[in-house]
Amino acid sequence: MTRSEHLRNLLALGALGLVLALLPPALNVYLRSFALFTMMYVVLALSWNIISGFTGYTSFGHVIFYGIGAYACAILVADHGWHWLPTLLVAAGVAAAVGVALGYPVLRLKGPYFAIAMLGAAEGMRVVATVWDGLTHGGLGISLPSVENSIPTYYAMLGLMLITVLVAYAVGHSRFGIRLNAIREDEVAAEALGINATAYKLAAFALSAVFPAVAGGIQAYKVLYIDPPSVFFVQITIAMALMSMLGGKGTVIGPIVGAVLLYTAQELTWVNFPTAHLIAYGLFIVIVARFMPRGLVGFAIDRGWVRKGMVH
Amino acid sequence: MFRVLAGAFVGVLALVGPAPAHHRPNNEVLLGGAISQTGQYAEPAGRQVNAIKLWVDEVNAHGGLLGHKVVLSLLDDKSDVQTAIKLYEKLITEDKVDVLLAPYSSGITEAVANVNERYRMPFVAYGAASSPIWEKGRKYIFDIVAVAEDYQKGAVFLAKQIGVKRLAIIGQDSLFPRQVGKGAKEWAKKAGLEVVLDENYPPKQTDFTALLQKVKAAGAEAIVSNSYFADSVAQLRQMRELNLDFKMYSSTVGPGLPNFAEQLGNTAEYVLGYSQWEPLPAVLKHPGMQEFIDSYEKRFNEKPNYHAGSAYGALQVTEAAIKKAGSFDSEKIREALATQDVETVFGRYKVDARGMNEHEGLTFQILKGQRRVVWPEKWAETKAELPMPEWSKR
Amino acid sequence: MERSDVRSLYRLAAFLAGAYALPFAIGGWYGAVHLNERWLGYLATVVISGVLQGGVYAMFAVGLTLIFGVMRIINAAHGEMVMMGAYLTWVCFFRLGLDPLLALVLTLPVAFLFGVALQKVVLHAVVGQPELTGLLVTFGLGLVIVYVTELVFTTDFRTIPYAPGTVHITRTIAVGQNKVISFLIAVAISAGVYLFLKLSRLGKAIRATALNAEVAMVCGIPVRRVYLVTTGLAAALAVAGGALVSIQFGFNPETGTVYTLQAFTIIILGGRGHYVGALIGGVMLAVLEGLVSLLIPNGTAMVELAAYTLMIFVLLIRPGGLMGVKEA
Repeated sequence: MTRSEHLRNLLALGALGLVLALLPPALNVYLRSFALFTMMYVVLALSWNIISGFTGYTSFGHVIFYGIGAYACAILVADHGWHWLPTLLVAAGVAAAVGVALGYPVLRLKGPYFAIAMLGAAEGMRVVATVWDGLTHGGLGISLPSVENSIPTYYAMLGLMLITVLVAYAVGHSRFGIRLNAIREDEVAAEALGINATAYKLAAFALSAVFPAVAGGIQAYKVLYIDPPSVFFVQITIAMALMSMLGGKGTVIGPIVGAVLLYTAQELTWVNFPTAHLIAYGLFIVIVARFMPRGLVGFAIDRGWVRKGMVH
Repeated sequence: MFRVLAGAFVGVLALVGPAPAHHRPNNEVLLGGAISQTGQYAEPAGRQVNAIKLWVDEVNAHGGLLGHKVVLSLLDDKSDVQTAIKLYEKLITEDKVDVLLAPYSSGITEAVANVNERYRMPFVAYGAASSPIWEKGRKYIFDIVAVAEDYQKGAVFLAKQIGVKRLAIIGQDSLFPRQVGKGAKEWAKKAGLEVVLDENYPPKQTDFTALLQKVKAAGAEAIVSNSYFADSVAQLRQMRELNLDFKMYSSTVGPGLPNFAEQLGNTAEYVLGYSQWEPLPAVLKHPGMQEFIDSYEKRFNEKPNYHAGSAYGALQVTEAAIKKAGSFDSEKIREALATQDVETVFGRYKVDARGMNEHEGLTFQILKGQRRVVWPEKWAETKAELPMPEWSKR
Repeated sequence: MERSDVRSLYRLAAFLAGAYALPFAIGGWYGAVHLNERWLGYLATVVISGVLQGGVYAMFAVGLTLIFGVMRIINAAHGEMVMMGAYLTWVCFFRLGLDPLLALVLTLPVAFLFGVALQKVVLHAVVGQPELTGLLVTFGLGLVIVYVTELVFTTDFRTIPYAPGTVHITRTIAVGQNKVISFLIAVAISAGVYLFLKLSRLGKAIRATALNAEVAMVCGIPVRRVYLVTTGLAAALAVAGGALVSIQFGFNPETGTVYTLQAFTIIILGGRGHYVGALIGGVMLAVLEGLVSLLIPNGTAMVELAAYTLMIFVLLIRPGGLMGVKEA
C-alpha cells in the first residue's frame, strides 16, 4: 500500500470518528448503549485478531483480560473512590502484566493446547474472582456508585475504538505484522530466519490484552454492577472469535465488519424474538464456522472485490 | 473501504433505531418489568408472575388504575444479571413504562436498582431481601419482605431449644445466601451456639459428598443451609445416601416450593424452611387474605406461597401509592411509597428511612408433606418435631 | 520413550504427587486433619466417592478423547451431550416407565445414531480444519442443544429417584447405592469399549486413524466410516455418562457446561486419544476435587480452581498428559 492509500484510510477513519462523535445527542439512551456495545465488540474482535488472526495462536479464553479490566475499574472506583478514567490506565497496565506473565508459559503450547489452556485460565480467573472475597467481594459482585454516565462512557469507548483500529492497522501494515504472520505460517522457519518468536508472540499477546481490559473497565463503569460470571463469561470470547472469523480472521477490516454485523444481528433478534434468538445464535455459529472459515472479507478478497493487503 | 463502513455503521443504527414505540391507545398504562421466567430462579419467580397476572386482571376488572386499563409487559431476564440490566434500561427508555415491577433475587435486584435509581422510577421489591441493597442511600427502591439476615433466626432458636451446641452454616456463593449466612452467624452467636463450619459453594454445585463429610468432620450437629432449590434437594438426597444424620436441617428457598416435597418424597420430612408468609388467614389475619388465596387457587390450582403473596402485596402497595399520588408521576409515587402505611394480604407496609419494611416471617417444618408453621410461637400451628429421626429409622 | 520424554513424565508425576499432598498440607496447617478412626473414615469416604465418581466422569471423557484423538476436533458440546443423556433417561423413566439402567438399551443406540448424524451433517467438513473451527462449530451446537432442551423441558431441575439406599463399607464409611451402581455400569461399558478398540477390526482401524489419518487411508482403512463410528461411539458414551449421572444428581439444561470443562481437564491429564489415560485422569480429578473440598478451609468454593490449575500445569509440564507422548 502506498503512502497516499494509507493517508486516505486514515482520513476515512477520522471521518467515521467524527460522525460517531457527533451522534450522541441525537440518540436516545438505548441507542447510545447499542452504539457503545457495538464499538466495544469492534475493540474486542480486533484485539483477539492480533494474537489469534495475525499470529495464529487461537486464544479461547481472551475474556480473562476483559474481566480483569472490569474488576480493576470496579474495585478502584467502588472501594477506593478513584475517578474512573485513571482506572482504565491501571486496567491496561494490569492486563499487560498478566498478559506477559501468563503468555510466557502458555505461548509455548501449540494449537489446540493453547486454546484449552487459555480457556482454563479464563475460567480459573473467574473462580479466583469468586473466591478472593477480600478484593473482589466474591459472589456478591461489585456495585459502583450510581451516576448518569451514558455520554462520557460513549466517548470513552469511541476513543478506545479509534485507538484500537489504528493500532490494528499499524500492526497489519508493518514489519511487525509480517513477522507475526511468519510465526503463524511456520514458527520454526521463522525462528530459523532470525525472528525471535518468543518476544514477538509475547508482544502481540500483551498488545491484544490491553484493549479488552480497557473495554471491560468502561463497561463496568457503564453498567455499574459486575460479578464474576458476567465479566468472565465464556460467550464473550466466543463472540470475539466468531466476529473475527465472520469478518475475516487475519485481516484488519474483517473483525470490524464482523463485529458490527454480528452484534447488530444479535440485538435485532434479541429484541424481536427473545426466546428463539439463542437457538438462532447457536445455529448461526455453526453455519458460519462450517461454511465461511475465511470470513466475509476473505470471501471478498478471493473474488477480487477488495485488494489483498500486505497481511492476510 | 472505511468510508463504506462509516456509512454502514450509521445506517445500521437507523435500522435498530425506531424500535416499536409503545402505542397506548384507549388511555392504557404500561406496567413493566423483567423477571426470571427461565434459569435457576424460574421456580420461585414463576409464583410471583402468577400473582402479578392475577392482580392485573383483578385491577382491570375493577376499573383499572385511576381509571386507566393496565397493560402488562413481563420480560424474561433468564436469571441473568446483565440481561436484566439491559431489559430494564430498555423498558424505561424505549418502552417508556409508567410503573415498574421488580425482578426476582437479590443479585438481580441490586443490579437493577442502579438503573431505576438513575432514571428516578420507583418500585417496590418483592424478590429481594438483602439489606445491602438498601444501605446505599438509594431513594427509589422500596422493600416489602423481611430481611435476609432473619431467614434462619427461627431455625437457630429451634436448634438451641433441642440442645444443639455446634452448628454448620453452608450456602451458595451469591448475594442472598451470603446475607442469610451472615445473619445466621449472628443469631447463632446471640443464642450461644458455636459455628463450627461456615462454607460457601459455587452456584452450580451438585455433588456435596465432600462438603457433607466436612460438616460431619467438623462435629456439627445441625445444618443451616442457605440454598435455593436444586442445591438443597441435592444436599438432602446425599445426606440420606451417605447415611449422615443431623439433628436439624434448615434451608431457605427450597422447602417453600411445591416441587420440593414432591421430588424428595420422604426425604423432605422434618426439614425446616423459612417463609415470608403462609396462606393461613386464621393464623396471620391480614385483610383480604382469604379472597386472595381463593382466587389464586382457583386460577392456578395450587395455594399461593410466599413468593406469590409478597408480589401481590407489593402491587397492592403500589396501587395505594398511585391512588395517594393521584397520578403516575414518578416523584409523587415515590413520595407516597416512602411515607404511606397500608395493610395488604401480605402484612403491614410501612418503610423506614432506608426504604425497608418491618416484616416478620415464619419458620415452618415439612411434616407429612405439608408445611406447618413451627415458629415464632405466636403463629405456631404445632410444635417442631426435632431432632430429626435418623435415616435408617424412617 | 526418549530421555526427555521420560524426564517430563517424572516431572509430571512429581507435580501430581505435590498436587495431592497440597490439600493435606494446607488442611494440616489449619487443623482440619485428625488422625483418628472417625476422621479417616470421612477421608476414606471422600476418596472412595471420588473414585466411583471418577469412573463415571472418565467414561464420558473417553468420548471426548476419541473425537479429539481421531479427528483433532475439540468437542465443546460434549457436556451438552451428557445432559441430553440425562434427559433421555428421564423421558424413559417418567414417560415410558423404564428402569433407568434398562433404558440404556434404548438410549445408547439413539445416541450412537445421533453421533453418526452429527458427523455426517456437520462435523465431516470440520475434520482437518484448524482447531478454532471445530471449537466454534461444536460450541454453537452446544448452544442449540441447550436452548432446544429448554424449550421442550423448561429450566426446571429434575431428578430421577433411583436406588436411594446406602452401601455400608465399614462402620463409618458409607456411599450411596446409586453411586456404586453407576460406577459398576461405567466400568462395564468402559471395559466393553476398551475391548472393542483393542480387539475388533473396526477398533483397530479407529486407533490407526488416530495415530495418522493419512497413512491409515493409504492402508485402505475406510477413514470416513471410522469417523462416523467414532462420533457415534463418543455420543453414546456421553449419553451413557449422562444416564449414570442422572440417577445421582439433579440436572437442568444448563448443567452440561460444567461437564465439558471437567472432561477437557481429564483428557489433558490422561493424554489425547488415550483411553486408559482418560480413565486414570477421571479418577484422579474426582479424588483431587474431593480432597480439596474436604481439607482446605472454604475449599468447596475452590474445587473448580483446582481443576483448572491442574489442567494448566499439566499442559505446561507435559502436554501429552500421563499416557501420551511428550508433545502430543
